[in-house]
Amino acid sequence: MTAYLVRRVGQAVVVVIGVMILTFVLIHMEPGSAARATLGPHATASRIAIFNSTYGLNEPLDQQFVTYLDQVVHGNLGTSYSLQQPVSTLIAQRLPRDFLLLGLSTVLALLIALPLGIYQAVRRNGLWDYLYTGAAFTLYSMPDFFFAILLIAVFSVQLQILPPEAPQAATVAGMLADPRALILPVVTLALISVASYSRYMRSSAIDTLAQDYIRVTRAKGLPERLVLSRHVLRNSLLPVVTLVGLSFPTIVAGAVIAEAVFNYPGMGLLFYQAATSHDFPVLLGSTLVVGVATVVGSLAADLAYAVLDPRVRYGHA
Amino acid sequence: MRIRRWTAAVAILVITVLAVAACSGGGGTSAGHGRTGGTATMAWVGASPNFIFPLAPATNTNGYNENLTTPLWPELVYDGDGGKAAVNPQQSLVSSITYSNGDKKVTIDLKHWNWSDGKPVTSRDFTFVDNLLKANVPNWWLYVPGLFPDGVASVATPNAHTVVLNLTHSYNPTFYTDDVLSLIQILPQHAWDKTSTGGPVGNYDETASGAKAVYAFLQKEGGQMSTFTTNPLWKVVDGPWKLVSFTSNGAWDYVPNKEYSGPDKPILDRVNNVPYTTDTAELNALRSGSSVTVGTLPLNDISQKGILTSEGYTVASVPFPGVAEIMPNLYNASAGPVLRQLYVRQALEDLIDGKQIVSKVYNGYADPGNGPVPVQAFPSWVSALEKSGGPYPYSPSTATALLTAHGWKVTPNGTTACQRPGTAAADCGTGITAGQPLNFQLLYSSGTASTDEQEAAIQSSEAQAGVKISLKPEPFNTLSSNVGACTASSHPASTCGWQLVDFGYDQYELYPAGNGFFNTGGYNNEGGYVNAEMNSLINATEYGSSTSAFFTYEDYAARQLPWLWLPLGSNIFVYKSNLHGFAPLNPISGGLNPEVWHYSS
Repeated sequence: MTAYLVRRVGQAVVVVIGVMILTFVLIHMEPGSAARATLGPHATASRIAIFNSTYGLNEPLDQQFVTYLDQVVHGNLGTSYSLQQPVSTLIAQRLPRDFLLLGLSTVLALLIALPLGIYQAVRRNGLWDYLYTGAAFTLYSMPDFFFAILLIAVFSVQLQILPPEAPQAATVAGMLADPRALILPVVTLALISVASYSRYMRSSAIDTLAQDYIRVTRAKGLPERLVLSRHVLRNSLLPVVTLVGLSFPTIVAGAVIAEAVFNYPGMGLLFYQAATSHDFPVLLGSTLVVGVATVVGSLAADLAYAVLDPRVRYGHA
Repeated sequence: MRIRRWTAAVAILVITVLAVAACSGGGGTSAGHGRTGGTATMAWVGASPNFIFPLAPATNTNGYNENLTTPLWPELVYDGDGGKAAVNPQQSLVSSITYSNGDKKVTIDLKHWNWSDGKPVTSRDFTFVDNLLKANVPNWWLYVPGLFPDGVASVATPNAHTVVLNLTHSYNPTFYTDDVLSLIQILPQHAWDKTSTGGPVGNYDETASGAKAVYAFLQKEGGQMSTFTTNPLWKVVDGPWKLVSFTSNGAWDYVPNKEYSGPDKPILDRVNNVPYTTDTAELNALRSGSSVTVGTLPLNDISQKGILTSEGYTVASVPFPGVAEIMPNLYNASAGPVLRQLYVRQALEDLIDGKQIVSKVYNGYADPGNGPVPVQAFPSWVSALEKSGGPYPYSPSTATALLTAHGWKVTPNGTTACQRPGTAAADCGTGITAGQPLNFQLLYSSGTASTDEQEAAIQSSEAQAGVKISLKPEPFNTLSSNVGACTASSHPASTCGWQLVDFGYDQYELYPAGNGFFNTGGYNNEGGYVNAEMNSLINATEYGSSTSAFFTYEDYAARQLPWLWLPLGSNIFVYKSNLHGFAPLNPISGGLNPEVWHYSS
């Protein structure tokens, strides 16, 4: 297992460097001027010169990349052109917010989707299976901004029982101290992702239920509750684990629409604003973080496989 | 110079007053003010301040920084007097500004104000600012070559409250006071003239190297958001407010500066500022029964007016102090020769139905856009021509006749094309080829429904004379990065591929002069407009002192169409009726004077 981990970490480093190079080249190929995007359409030549000099944009591209790599190695992700703050500070401020919001919504979605998927598998092709499937697909196909505004219109504007904004505290502890404000954004993000998890779970559980060992457990008289919880659930989780692992970078990348509607600036809005304003350091920093998250999520999913399925032996692979 | 306050990223400033503590704070009354105390919270859409040192670097053009710092360190000259776009002498830090020696000498008398630490505001504080800027321009976000401090030959301080500026040119006093001195914030030399956190305060600014070191130190400190409220530097203020809270998510709070020497002492106990990511989020807050008492309505949400009014809000509009335009690129490879023809620009302007746009797109909340000076925001600077509707009222028939008279075959709702190339009076004009169509691409800033509707209306009305406009919306920053300045001598395809662009609007200071806009090489003149007569007329408004010179320039610009004039939507505010002092709204300060706000009993 140790050798496997070392190998995977080595691969991860190569992948992340590759992502950095690709991102660096691509964003510098973008037409237009970062200075003008930041300083506005009427920036004077002298102001543009100061900008380019300040951020090293008048250096050759390869030199800029070497400088950037050197900074990254020393823990410096650069300074945002438009927000004028260190990128590491911006990410440190916003990443925990997304972890909280998207983490909670993912947990809630799984808490709903896993039992729902098994229930639908057990009752497949029955009335409730059709109803839950219809509801899940309705939510899944609904644009998140529309669903969010719908919930706000009902619960904030009409009933006035929940605030229309996510918590505004600057810290996670502060946000957790305002749980009412978390309800709408968490529920919005959770419900629109229940469908994908529950469908995977349903399909996987249907396969598992057809396995011989399930028949054996039933033949031995194991109560149905234990059959489902001990054998069906665990063995049906593998595809969902993959899905959760792959959703990890999504959690890190933020949810731009939900952040915009619920007044919750996170990584999604940060990346979107950087993308529209040629804010290279933020784009590179965000991409780096998401790249690392992708690798980590993928690795975590692989390791979870081993835990869930002892037949998987990475050490002997 | 003109990029400030409301203009940053065309983000609409929203002032939302959440009467969070209005019901619990304060108490008692003061004569003529209703109830004293309470908390107001202002909300801002689109961006947050990130720099507290008022002399921000050239790389930081975040206009919200000025909104953060002005209540702490007000400018020499207070812009906005009630509802008028004019200097407010009562609230200004100066008691008088006198021009002499052919308007080359400016004598500024400071009022006897104190800093919050009890030290007096003196002329030395002015020279501190002057020294810092002289040693560090162009690295100042408001720097315009030739103006302050370039245009100051020497500064004298005959006494503690008098500053004498000897200028390199004679300036129009109105221009210099309204557009130059109105941007200068006085800073506390006795507390800030240092080069390190623990270092002593000295007179470092008096040498160029010392001024550079002080400037570098203050700029470094000014960007440390986590210390905005703890750094002793920023606790020394002369404005009506002191900063007590600033969070990483862009929220900040003021409390009254008890030592404020100005005339309007704050009545509220506290002013909170809350950032909003979008207009939608802000509108949701307004409608959700929260304690919001004031906000702004985007013009595309004006249909919410009735609902908000029924919930106890008052709706008020204030015109933007700017000019909205479509800027033609006179040196685009294909469209440039066409757009350089005045008659073509006249025809294009004739085909813009401004009245309809004001009525249907902006629901009446807009300046008509008759010329370079907005009629509503600057009534005292509007000429008779502009008042009467401008030189080019909507007239498709006039446009058609103009084009036909210059050799174009006009095909309404088709494609008008040049039939008679050549340079004679009845020909299409220099550089225009036979069969060349009147097709243009219009780039504009995306994300605002009213702008989409306006551009669609223009596209439709231009088609009446066979002018085909293709629309291309782009995010403002993308637009800004792709639209370069083009001139006769330099028009590379990489930055001059654009043909027509609508950035939204450009803002004026108190004196709505055209320098920088329409003069040769002006920083807002991306389209490469060159006209010696225009240069001369603009110079007369800036360096002369004749009021008639301004109107001469204004009418000339209105007729020459360096830009195509467009209506400019107003800013719509919504506020609870128990908040007083918020109205009348001022085009320049736009309600950013919470020191006069108070709640009714």
